[in-house]
Amino acid sequence: MDQKYLYLSLTPEALIASMLPPEDFGKYLAVGSKKRTRGQALFFEVDTNIESDYFKTGIIKERCVPHSNGAPKRSVYLSIYRVLEHIPLSKLKNLYLVTDDGRVLGLEKGEYSVKNNSQLHLYQQLGPVSPRVATKLNPVEFVKFITDLSQPVSVPKIVFTELTLDELAENPLKGNDESLPYSNIDHLRDCLIGLTNKDSKKTKTVIRTLTGNLFYRMVKNGFFIGENGNVVYYPFPSLEELNSKYYPWWKSAVTIGF
Amino acid sequence: MLPSLFWLIPLGSVVALSFAFIFFKQMMKGEEGTERMIIIARHVRTGAMAYLKQQYKIVTVFFLLITILFSVLAYVLELQNPWVPFAFITGGFFSGLAGFIGMKTATYASARTANAAKHSLNAGLQIAFRSGAVMGLVVVGLGLLDISVWFVVLNYFYPSFEGDGHNLMIITTTMLTFGMGASAQALFARVGGGIFTKAADVGGDLVGKVEAGIPEDDPRNPATIADNVGDNVGDVAGMGADLYESYCGSILSTAALGSAAFMYSREIQFNSVIAPMLLAVVGILLSIIGIYTVKTRENAGQKELLAALNRGVTLSSVLIVIASIGILLLLDMPNPFGLWGSVITGLITGIVIGKATEYYTSSSYSPTINIARSSKTGPATVIISGLATGMMSTAIPVLAVATGIIMSFLFASGFSFVNISEGLYGIGIAAVGMLSTLGITLATDAYGPIADNAGGNAEMSGLGVEVRNRTDALDSLGNTTAATGKGFAIGSAALTALALLASYIEELKIGLLRLGQTSIVFSNGSEIKIAEATLTDFMNYFEVNLINPKVLVGVFIGAMMSFIFCGLTMNAVGRAAGKMVDEVRRQFREIPGIMEGKEEPDYAKCVEISTRGAQMEMILPSALAILIPIFMGLLFGVPGTIGLLVGGLSSGFVLAIFMSNSGGAWDNAKKYVEEGNLGGKGSASHKATVIGDTVGDPFKDTSGPSLNILIKLMSMVAIVMSGLTVAFSVF
Repeated sequence: MDQKYLYLSLTPEALIASMLPPEDFGKYLAVGSKKRTRGQALFFEVDTNIESDYFKTGIIKERCVPHSNGAPKRSVYLSIYRVLEHIPLSKLKNLYLVTDDGRVLGLEKGEYSVKNNSQLHLYQQLGPVSPRVATKLNPVEFVKFITDLSQPVSVPKIVFTELTLDELAENPLKGNDESLPYSNIDHLRDCLIGLTNKDSKKTKTVIRTLTGNLFYRMVKNGFFIGENGNVVYYPFPSLEELNSKYYPWWKSAVTIGF
Repeated sequence: MLPSLFWLIPLGSVVALSFAFIFFKQMMKGEEGTERMIIIARHVRTGAMAYLKQQYKIVTVFFLLITILFSVLAYVLELQNPWVPFAFITGGFFSGLAGFIGMKTATYASARTANAAKHSLNAGLQIAFRSGAVMGLVVVGLGLLDISVWFVVLNYFYPSFEGDGHNLMIITTTMLTFGMGASAQALFARVGGGIFTKAADVGGDLVGKVEAGIPEDDPRNPATIADNVGDNVGDVAGMGADLYESYCGSILSTAALGSAAFMYSREIQFNSVIAPMLLAVVGILLSIIGIYTVKTRENAGQKELLAALNRGVTLSSVLIVIASIGILLLLDMPNPFGLWGSVITGLITGIVIGKATEYYTSSSYSPTINIARSSKTGPATVIISGLATGMMSTAIPVLAVATGIIMSFLFASGFSFVNISEGLYGIGIAAVGMLSTLGITLATDAYGPIADNAGGNAEMSGLGVEVRNRTDALDSLGNTTAATGKGFAIGSAALTALALLASYIEELKIGLLRLGQTSIVFSNGSEIKIAEATLTDFMNYFEVNLINPKVLVGVFIGAMMSFIFCGLTMNAVGRAAGKMVDEVRRQFREIPGIMEGKEEPDYAKCVEISTRGAQMEMILPSALAILIPIFMGLLFGVPGTIGLLVGGLSSGFVLAIFMSNSGGAWDNAKKYVEEGNLGGKGSASHKATVIGDTVGDPFKDTSGPSLNILIKLMSMVAIVMSGLTVAFSVF
């Protein structure tokens, strides 16, 4: 039976039909069919029963078929523009994180509870735009803030992950930043100090766009996708779980090629 | 008829080899683990043996050529002792055999260590450490066996207690020449092994980690097995052959110095010759006791693991201090407490060098942390601070050796700078003291690559997190002991080379006698019989002084040799690594299933590439190390040769410390960042320290350790070729 899958890629934003299951599709995205390339990838599996006037889903049946030699079709691009906003949250299945050598980790949906509201946060946005922002808002508040379409700076839907700030989350002025791998660390500190000094300022852009790889090891709690008041949360495994259950992926994730 | 005390020496050898055999059998009783673990271990074992086979082929050709040369010198030109060709071959054979057994053991032990770590940390430690002890005990056992056999054979032809005392000098100086065989074999093992290991490591990392983005020790990387093989050929076979040579060289040069210093009494002369050998025998017994005390509790931390190893080494060292005075008194040596002071001086010097190495290369101390911190401003500052740290790190070892030389000299000479012969004997005894417990100190060294390979095996076999944590802990401990071991190897090489330098003069004496000369005539017309001439007389006769341009030229060329040798070996790593990069790229390109883990890479091809690269690249530096002392002797005679040895020893010793410590510090600075400091893996700091580590790799694992051999081998060549030098020098 030729099973078909639908994926929402974030690297870059695209809706792709494929005959490859998530593990194989992740590998394919990362290292290509001839293994001569490599690159990190993030994607959601999407329910194939999606009803949309925006996407031409009819071509899936027509084009997502095995090659003449029987090999499965790896990818049929359905759309590469404003994809995220047109996929309902309810149609999203697991989120897959792929390392640049093709190791795939699947994350399931979970419950998110706000823990400490006084902390500062650092969010790496993954779609539809990819700046890195420092903010006083917790993830749920941030989704509400950034998807408020009445505001000039807003997006209809947002995917992002929270990155660790360590001591800077509590004490941007004097907190130790030695264990943070981010570039322009002094600028990050300035942004955080600016947020604490100015009550009215809710977010500050630290980096305008993501360049290079996302540091998986710096993910603080998980990945968020949301619009208006709705937030779907994909919790990231604990260090213990990464070391025991997902070791091959984790080892690959902390290996950065130069 | 040899005195009964002598027979303790072959007995000590038998004890060492017996315990090595017992430890080997105990290790072999252990299970290798899962099928995957067995396959990986077999790959490494096959690769290691393929490497050795190839290396021994080339070494055999080299040995045949040199043996022919020595035979011509001995039997046609009659410039050399007729036993030299045979002594040369046995020295090389036993050194090679020690490396072979050590590597065989190590490659059998790695999977068993990983498997034992499934049960407990202590079980893993026991297998790894006792397998390392096989190497330690085989080196000392074979060393003493070679010495004993030659002593018995030569004593048959030149009875020790007959004649005017020259027989014992002939015996000891003849035996000294088997050190050249050991030295030459050690050079090939160290240089070839060093090039192999870094070619595989750097080449594998560049494509695997950097280009393909797959982690270290990942079975998908075709160079992974070659990397593991490299740990064995460099750090087990190379280090073993190096220290075998130091061990035998220090004992034999001290014996030669003793036979010259105490010619006034046949009995004292004989006892001074066997004193270093008996110290070595007692060292073997105490090493075995120490080995049995190395154990730890489950869930032990890094400090406890280190303490477990230190307990064994410290106990052996303390006991040798107590036992050595007993030996000296038993032998009725003149000035026994002075000589005891020399033994203790040697031991303390070794400990100080080891601790200084640990201080400059461990990430627990400020020098390495400061290198890591300099990564905040990029790779250039990492390189600068690493070079600076390496340079600064030469101070303590050099001062320790300088103090050791002076103190051991003064202790043995009765605090008189005039009594040169006995003072030099004291320096030799200090070197023997430092190396007396080599059985256990080498065990801590050889343990490192075994633990490292065990970690690699656990990783590639996908063992559980608890097992990997245990093998990581054992591996991490191995990194510390390896760094300390390198410092110890350099320190002992320096003292041994100095003792060999002094022995060179004794060899010249024999060389002149062989030419039929019975006295030496000075420029002022005065004449002294060779049999009565002191070391100072010989230095005056050969005009070895600092205003003689031949000496100065020799010093300059000796200093240059160290740098040329390093340059050649470092370039060799670059070229051999380049070939490995091409091969790994080819495999990724032509075997598409590798990345998915569906197809196995061609590991053997990578081993072959690295082996061929190492063998080709080791020829030029090795040939230079042998040919330059010969040419210098033929061109500028004895003064030029002594200058060459002094220049080579002083620059080589300092350069070796600098390179080993810089490389070690860069390596640990990177590990410090990888532990999560300064941004951790993937950060800009990490990138900068990775560059430092890559630069440091050939520093610490190829060029630095190879310099130990260079300084000893040049002395050995000078000694063996002394007959040629006195007969044919142009100027």
